[in-house]
Amino acid sequence: MSWIVRMIIVLPALAALVGLLTRRRRGLAAAVAVSVSAYVAVLGLIQWVAPSRTADIESIGSLPLGDLSVPLHLLSDRVSGLVAFVVALVVLGIQVFTAWYLRDDPRYGQFAATVSLFAAGMLLLVQSGDLVLMLVGWEVMGWCSWLLIGHDSERAAARRAAYKAFIVTRVADIAMVVGIVALSVRARSTDLMAVLTAGGDGTLLTIGLVGIVIGVAGKSGLVPFHDWLPDAMEGPTPASALIHAATMVAAGTYVIARLFSLYAGHDGARTLLAVLTAVTMVYAALLALVQTDLKRMLAYSTLSQIAIMLSALAAAPAELGPGAGIAHLVGHAFFKALLFLGAGWLSVLAGATAVAALRGRLRPTGALRWSMGIGLAALAGVPPLIGFFTKDTVIDAALEGATGGGGFRAWLVVVALFVTVVLTAAYCTRAWLLLDTPVAATGRLPDVEPAVVAEEDVAVVTTTDSADDAEVERVHAHGHAPITLPAALVVSVLAALTVVGTLFLASLRGGVHVGLLSALLSVLLVAGAAYAVWSLSDRGRLDVADRIPSRVREPAVRGFGVDTAYVGFGRAVTAVARLVVALDRDVVDAYPRATAVVARAAGRAGERSHRAVPSLSLLSLLVGVVVVAVLGVAAWR
Amino acid sequence: MKGLAIDYSILLPAILPVAGLVLVLVLDLVNPRLRQVPYAVAALAALGSAVATVPGLALGGGSTRETFCLTGRTGQATGGATAAGVDGLPQVCLWQADALGSTLQLAAAVSALVCIALAWPRTRRRRPTDSTREPVEAVLLLAALAGTIVVAASRDVGTWLVALELATLPVIALVALSGRRSAVAGATQLLVTSLVSFALLVLGVALWFAATGSPFLTPDAALSSGGAFSAASGAPTSVVFPSVSGGVVALATVLVVAGVGFKLSLVPFHAWTPTAYAGSSVPVATFLATVSKIAALAALLVVLRAVAALGTPALVSIALLASLSMTLGNLMALRQDDVVRLLAWSTVAQAGWVVLPLVSISALGVGASATYLLTYVIATLVAFAVVAVTLRDRPGEGRSIAAYEGLWQRSPWRAGALALALTSLAGLPPGIIGLVGKITALRPVVAEGWVWLAVVAAVNAVVGVAVYLRWLRAVITAPDVVAGAAGSEGPGPAPVAVARRRPVMVAGLVLASAILVVVSVQPDLLLRLLG
Repeated sequence: MSWIVRMIIVLPALAALVGLLTRRRRGLAAAVAVSVSAYVAVLGLIQWVAPSRTADIESIGSLPLGDLSVPLHLLSDRVSGLVAFVVALVVLGIQVFTAWYLRDDPRYGQFAATVSLFAAGMLLLVQSGDLVLMLVGWEVMGWCSWLLIGHDSERAAARRAAYKAFIVTRVADIAMVVGIVALSVRARSTDLMAVLTAGGDGTLLTIGLVGIVIGVAGKSGLVPFHDWLPDAMEGPTPASALIHAATMVAAGTYVIARLFSLYAGHDGARTLLAVLTAVTMVYAALLALVQTDLKRMLAYSTLSQIAIMLSALAAAPAELGPGAGIAHLVGHAFFKALLFLGAGWLSVLAGATAVAALRGRLRPTGALRWSMGIGLAALAGVPPLIGFFTKDTVIDAALEGATGGGGFRAWLVVVALFVTVVLTAAYCTRAWLLLDTPVAATGRLPDVEPAVVAEEDVAVVTTTDSADDAEVERVHAHGHAPITLPAALVVSVLAALTVVGTLFLASLRGGVHVGLLSALLSVLLVAGAAYAVWSLSDRGRLDVADRIPSRVREPAVRGFGVDTAYVGFGRAVTAVARLVVALDRDVVDAYPRATAVVARAAGRAGERSHRAVPSLSLLSLLVGVVVVAVLGVAAWR
Repeated sequence: MKGLAIDYSILLPAILPVAGLVLVLVLDLVNPRLRQVPYAVAALAALGSAVATVPGLALGGGSTRETFCLTGRTGQATGGATAAGVDGLPQVCLWQADALGSTLQLAAAVSALVCIALAWPRTRRRRPTDSTREPVEAVLLLAALAGTIVVAASRDVGTWLVALELATLPVIALVALSGRRSAVAGATQLLVTSLVSFALLVLGVALWFAATGSPFLTPDAALSSGGAFSAASGAPTSVVFPSVSGGVVALATVLVVAGVGFKLSLVPFHAWTPTAYAGSSVPVATFLATVSKIAALAALLVVLRAVAALGTPALVSIALLASLSMTLGNLMALRQDDVVRLLAWSTVAQAGWVVLPLVSISALGVGASATYLLTYVIATLVAFAVVAVTLRDRPGEGRSIAAYEGLWQRSPWRAGALALALTSLAGLPPGIIGLVGKITALRPVVAEGWVWLAVVAAVNAVVGVAVYLRWLRAVITAPDVVAGAAGSEGPGPAPVAVARRRPVMVAGLVLASAILVVVSVQPDLLLRLLG
């Protein structure tokens, strides 16, 4: 059985290598990417169905690090089997979809290979039973996200977004690495089991857990680090789907779930996590409500949903385990992949991703309309869909935590969750109404001016938004390539999974756990919010967000200038670096330079005293003889 | 001569140059129009001399190849216990070539061979109006070589003094031979300094004889310099002057160091060095920088090995000379733009490194000093050979560092050889041998606890790196775009024109470079040679 676990990690990595070597031959590259990810999905299915519960699968042998034990084991259990299978499934869908979506992209080969490598990183993180391997997978994903977001590297906005994502997550990773080191030092081992069971030093434990929370906040886009994710929409839509659905941003949930027993016993770290997630889920949902771009709206919804997953881990009582968070991870993976791929499909049809350009475009598209409808409903939490079950599992877990002595932390999460339920239903309804209401019904033509971007300042996202440039270019470049059957099938299958995916969670302990009262309450809230939006927007004829004064809306669309704050932070760091360089150059280096000056001056003096005159040399000779003789005789022993 | 056994086969390294010298003179007498034949004879003589030293190289463990041995009771001047020649006592031989001496002789012969190749005349026949320079040069070179080889093996004061002078005086003539004003200036300075130094040497030797009563430069003679002294030879003594003769031996040693220091161009006896190097032709400068230095160190080692038997721990004066030479040499070399002058000052600095290990008068120090000398000689030979070849390419300007800009592009092999030589002198990889030499030289210093001297040496090693990298940078950087454009306007046919007339010169460069590469790849070859 253990070879399956290893294969699940190694095969995508090999596929990345092969894909890179065959990148010039499109057909071959696509075949390699799709077939390997299909095979990995089958392996994932086997691992999930028949999990081998073992924590000491050898990977590359342990590292000889003296006192510190680094066994580099892989860990296989029910959770890792489920998550690995879901990841493999989503990656397979994305690879199939990409083969169509980037059909005319000259750098398709590189993209597919990067997706494979990305999958390898995520699967390594999922299967790892060792903090070092976890970090390796974590960093591989960070690097691949840079490649994927910056795929359209000829566009300055894409490059900037890629660097932004990379640098912001790197900054948070500093804390992550410190945290992992602290936990490893505490346990004298990097093995996950040893780390979980080690006792002792409370300070190291605090540093470790808080550090990992900060690192997770970076990759998962919790509040101070959240702004990179909407900008990451500059990447092609499949890349967004990959990053948002099952891998990078969700990886943080998985890491904290793995360490849940440590967090359960540490109030401080959990309170930090609870505050961050509560703020993020409400704030991101509010911003999602006002976005003018479909992809950016989805990005903000991801922020909000990831925060929901993490809030389950922050608020759930210890005996309930991390099941609720993992369950929402799985559910979110399905419906968010569905929504992103559907959005990509729609954008190809419409030639843009701006909401204004997409108005009513969903109506005439059969399967896509159904799929998007199911996706949005799942996101909003409409009952039979997976989103309803997983979200209410989280709410129920948080309620149990609150009533079971969780105190302020759990109540904060509960309140934030209910607020988020309302807001999520509101922005989902808004999106559906905008996309589905026929243009004729609105009584006016959609705005056509949006695609203009301020060339001189790509940093500022305008209301008319720039994320759709790539799509516009792509569509204009190759016209409306009709969708292939496999790609359409992928979207449909994801829609089906969104409907029946709850069955996946049956095997997960604490995976589905819905309380009657809270479920009833959240259904009422969803229905109320939907009705309110429906009536406020005059049955879809208006954009409900237009009712918000533009004084508030404009900065909200731009993310309230967080980007400027990031830039300011970067400038401050650079300024400090300049200061250090100046100190080094003008103070420290002065001494070495002084020796050079002294040497030169001494050489000049020596040159002046050597004038090639025999008498002078004779004089020096005689003086030398006397000195040498006196010294020699006096010091002779 | 009664009681004097002579084994001519052992004397071959010295006999061959002298025979070649006589042959050149005879040939010149027969046909004064020859230009290249005298050089060919000289080259063969040097080659033969080098080959003849080979049997001495394998000697290990203190065994020597000896001749001119006083087997019987000779009575007269030798007097005293040492030369008594009684059965059972070690006999005294006037010629003792052990592994160290043979190695120095080999190095001298090979260096002379390279110098001869570099000085190889251009045309076969000379015009009748030319002066008869070539045979004279060949004779002088061979004479100096013979002196060097003899001094390395001599063990009595007479041979030692005469051989040292034989190694010195022809070089002065060689410097003056070109007749230029700068050459005469250099020769004059060299002559004046060498006269005074010779006086010092004679004085030192006389004091030696007075103190020991023996004309031999052997450990036995040193030990005979007084009862108290020989008693103290085993253990360090607290008495500063056990006897008057002890002090006299000290003075004699110091004076010999001072006298030989002139030939090694140690500060403050160095003033002739840049003038003479710059004034003479490049092959003669090469000879001065290599064969002359070997002669000087060989002479110094003969005396110091004898003194080493006294168990003298160290010599402050040598430490002083070494540190002064290194510092001044490097500082001055840092400011030179003329490569020959740069090499002259580098010689001064390297001479400091050569005598550095001798602060410990012991077998360790002597071996380290000889090792360093060899590394220096090999690297310097290559550097000078490159300068000589370059000077033939661009006669007017080949002596400035600027002329070497872009050498890497023009002739990568030559630039590579020069780079290896310069890094060896600096003690940086890939010139491994220079690094090995520096470490070997520092070992006795550290072992004896001369911390301040080791620090001075380390600082100078750093400054030395700057000296050689200054030149090396010009070699490996491309010339400026402006200069390149100027060069492309007038593509120079001149280098091509002279290039066909220098195969022997290039052969000399190749020989020297090959030796440098071999010892750089296999440094233990050199270390094993010296035991």
